[in-house]
Amino acid sequence: MTLLLIASLFLPLFPLSIVLNGTLTTLRHPAARGAVLLLWPQLGIGLLQIAQHAIPPYFVPWALLTSGLYALRLLTVRDMGRWAGFLATSGLALTWALAAAGADRVDLHLFAFWFSLPHALMALLAYPLTRRFGAAYAGLQGGLIGHLPRLSGVLAVTALAAVATPPFPGFFGLLHVLQVLDWAGAVAVLAIWLIWGWAATKLMQGFIFGAERMESDADIGRVSTLAFAGMLGVFIAAGLYSTGGGL
Amino acid sequence: MDKLIILLPATPLLSALLITLLADRARHRIARLSVGFSVLTFLLAAASLAFYLTEGQPQWVAFAPGWGSLYLDPLTSVMSLMVAGISLVVHVYSVRYMAEEPGYARFYILLDLMATAILLMVAAGDLVTLLVAWHLIGVLLYFLLGQDAARPAAQRYAFWTFLTYRLGDLPLVLAAVLLYETYGTAALPTLFERIAAAPDALTVAGIPVLTVVALLVALAAFARSAQFPLHTWLPYTMEGPTPVSALMHAGIVNAGGFIINRFAPVFVHAGGVLHLVFAVGLVTAILGSILMLTQNDIKKSLGYSTMGQMGFMFVECGVGAFSLAIYHLIAHGLFKGTLFLGAGSVIGNARKHDGVPHDDVYTFVVERKPLAPRLPWVLAAVITVVVPLLVLGASRWLMGGDSVGEQGGIILLFFGWVTGAQLLFATYRLRVDSPWRMMVMIILSLIIVVAGYTLIEHGFDLFLYPDRELSERIYAAASIPLATFEVLVMILTAAIVVGWIATYYAAANGRAHRSSDASPLRLAFYSLISREFYVADVYAWLTQATLGLSRRLNVWSRWV
Repeated sequence: MTLLLIASLFLPLFPLSIVLNGTLTTLRHPAARGAVLLLWPQLGIGLLQIAQHAIPPYFVPWALLTSGLYALRLLTVRDMGRWAGFLATSGLALTWALAAAGADRVDLHLFAFWFSLPHALMALLAYPLTRRFGAAYAGLQGGLIGHLPRLSGVLAVTALAAVATPPFPGFFGLLHVLQVLDWAGAVAVLAIWLIWGWAATKLMQGFIFGAERMESDADIGRVSTLAFAGMLGVFIAAGLYSTGGGL
Repeated sequence: MDKLIILLPATPLLSALLITLLADRARHRIARLSVGFSVLTFLLAAASLAFYLTEGQPQWVAFAPGWGSLYLDPLTSVMSLMVAGISLVVHVYSVRYMAEEPGYARFYILLDLMATAILLMVAAGDLVTLLVAWHLIGVLLYFLLGQDAARPAAQRYAFWTFLTYRLGDLPLVLAAVLLYETYGTAALPTLFERIAAAPDALTVAGIPVLTVVALLVALAAFARSAQFPLHTWLPYTMEGPTPVSALMHAGIVNAGGFIINRFAPVFVHAGGVLHLVFAVGLVTAILGSILMLTQNDIKKSLGYSTMGQMGFMFVECGVGAFSLAIYHLIAHGLFKGTLFLGAGSVIGNARKHDGVPHDDVYTFVVERKPLAPRLPWVLAAVITVVVPLLVLGASRWLMGGDSVGEQGGIILLFFGWVTGAQLLFATYRLRVDSPWRMMVMIILSLIIVVAGYTLIEHGFDLFLYPDRELSERIYAAASIPLATFEVLVMILTAAIVVGWIATYYAAANGRAHRSSDASPLRLAFYSLISREFYVADVYAWLTQATLGLSRRLNVWSRWV
């Protein structure tokens, strides 16, 4: 049980989620945030395997509540680093539903990876924004699509990946969760997914759309764009391969 | 044949990828490339329909063991041709229309991706491919509607559309999960075979699983096709570029009718859900038509007209005339696309000539013309009631008497009668130089339209549902108890008769054109319509309440 509680720090359950979100707030460099978002849940799954303990039934509603709470909070968060952290908390909490249903180790590791990679990329994308505008804050600068089309494109696609939009692998992970939950649980997860989509559009409207408020600035380079696009392309391909579709 | 099915959605996808790589090239080259690929897609769609007509057997092509498959059947081949055709027209129209707009390459990339997603949806051979395509359409539409990034209104309504579509996505996901859990397959042909073999497989909370699935699919269709009360996004999508409006009203919004047809083997076992579809469609058709009549903006009026038409499409599904719904959506797609693309010219002409007919006093005093005669009232009433009935009855009789015996057929005849009566009624109210000539021309038009419609619908039904047993079972599932049916018919008949009497009374007292004596009830009704039944206000309030809760949660738990 102790190990399970420790795992709850890494596959964050409210209020133990304070550790992950506190760590993300403390870390200033986006690369460090990205690394934490990638590795943190994998540690939690490792601990779950070590614990070899049946997951008590109340963990699933607890996880759903955590996920719902952070999804709701996400709607009015404007700092992109914090946004990535909240979305990660909301998404990774769902790992408990799979773990409680007895999903195997590889499935759990993959599920966490499908969710955390786009979150890590979101955290990384805060860097070019902070460097140009002093903060990665939605609504501070609007209309980036006008003078930073590449950054806007990468940001939009990464945000869609982060909220489990098909064909990104998070969507297939979500389908897996729906299969193991009962009716009420499945409806709750779908409602959470709806709120993620809403939050993503709010974020995009804060950064990408709207009237331009800043002077033109240098867009991200072709190499960076290709690196992001390539990574997301490989991400989609890996998801399709692992779920048995398309490739 | 297999390659042809795969090439169909792959061609616009390839176009989108090429434009992404060549985005820095001159605008006309990008447009030429995209239009070229659209022509190719249209030719491929035409070829796939031709191949289907030659071979006559549905084909299922899988390109992965888990999911990822395409299915070519009559529904796919017809819908693909329609989608590819409308997409081509929109591509060509956009070449000049969007030429001065920023984000020209982005627009064509999104347009091509949208064509891919719609073609993938209509050709999906399994539940997961269908879900992926269904969701992608909503996402791509969000970006297309928000093409003008600087306009807050465009962004606001793009968001509303996205949220409604996502809301509609949820029941479809649940339906897919439920079907997979119950029948153990995602492949549509196998799934439908298993459903036919074991329609009463399981129950969910005491309700048969197929009823639950049909309800969920219907809910998804309601959101996608702007059925009341999930319609608020549709009229406001005019804030997007005109080509996108045309594509949406001519193609995307029809997805509801398509999905109901795709899941026809499920709806056969869910008669109650078909009744719900009928009721929702009827309410939507009535409200959409009322709202359309009160708009003073041509594009918004067209938006509400689409809502009404979608309502009629669902009414057709609700009475079991699934193939008629597909014919309707194709016909509607073609004429609504034309209207949208021509809306600009209409606005231009209206600036020169208002087109508003002069009233009787103006005609008599200013133009010094005598008032045009009208047909005798009783004669007009008899023609209004009898002629459509004769025309419709004769058309149905010519097509074979079976469908007249079905309730769905009778209801459709009834609707045809009401529509014909309404048309003749409007003719009666017009003041024209030669009312007899006008009436004869209208009746001739009615005969041509009704006979053509009945003939094509009959052919369409034979093509889309070659399994006649399935078609008959859909009609049977949609039927209601005879007594209820007869009461409904009587109520509707009485409504038309009362309408006529009210018109006569108003005309006899000279109140037909007087607006000063509007009763408080009428004013209240008008204000209700002008606020569009307050549905959007309720959604806005809910949105604000949710955002308020989110803010409070962030304040309360700021440390966690």
